[in-house]
Amino acid sequence: MIKQNIYQNEDDFLQSAKEFMARGNYSQDELQLETKSLIENYDELISQVKIITKISDRLQKKLNKTNDKLEVTNNQLNDTNIKLNETIDALTEAKIGRKAGTIVMIVVIVLFIFSEVWIEPIIDSHFPNSEYPLVGLALKLFVAILIKPGEDITNRYMLKNARKKQIEEARAKREGSK
Amino acid sequence: MDNIFIEGSKQTPEIKFIAESGELEIKGRSIPENTFDFFNPVLIWLEEYAKNPAKKTIVKVNLEYFNTSSSKYILEILKRVKNVMNDGHDVLVEWYYEEDDEEMMETGEDYEDVSGLPFSLISVEED
Repeated sequence: MIKQNIYQNEDDFLQSAKEFMARGNYSQDELQLETKSLIENYDELISQVKIITKISDRLQKKLNKTNDKLEVTNNQLNDTNIKLNETIDALTEAKIGRKAGTIVMIVVIVLFIFSEVWIEPIIDSHFPNSEYPLVGLALKLFVAILIKPGEDITNRYMLKNARKKQIEEARAKREGSK
Repeated sequence: MDNIFIEGSKQTPEIKFIAESGELEIKGRSIPENTFDFFNPVLIWLEEYAKNPAKKTIVKVNLEYFNTSSSKYILEILKRVKNVMNDGHDVLVEWYYEEDDEEMMETGEDYEDVSGLPFSLISVEED
């Protein structure tokens, strides 16, 4: 018959010994038998306790070793994750840089066409005798000087937006996984 | 007599006890929330099995980890298998451990010492 808990046999032996002692009117032989039974059960119990403690300690050691390995793996994963993020950032920056360059180039071309078609005739009409031949050239130089800062500003703006988008996506992903 | 099969989970081992062939297999991880509820049917089955066991009983233990109360139940299982041996039947415990799992190998040796059953310690390659 299986008992209610794993230590039920041991509990039963102990209860039986307590009841025997409480009875009081036992013979020498009965006392001897009861003591023998108690010693045997105690012997069995102590050997079980020893072996279970030993096994438990050993498996705890195994658990600690596994935890140590997990910690190392976790650190490696974190390092890889940092490198991956750095690579993604670099790629994003390069991609945005190319995009910003294209946008600025289009703007410059538009400005050039605009200046050739609209501004030059106005300058020519205001300075018909070419008194100030460098006015048109200065205007084009001014536009050319603006190319680099314009590209940088566009680049920074687009990068800021891209990072904001990345953060929002990461937040949405975290909330979605909850 | 019915066989017993309990599917393994993250916390409980797979139990496959086949009465006819005498193959009793425990496999996986044993950290049940309630060890009594999990192992009680197994012990009841073993008590029934001990009344009319197969010609040869092979207990295959292949555990990666078990908690303290499970270690007591494993001892209880081995005690019941010992009763089968004491009744004159052949018994063998095959204790499997991963090749670099020194702790589980030594645990097998401890169970061998304390149970008095014939053990075969078998090293297996990691998954």
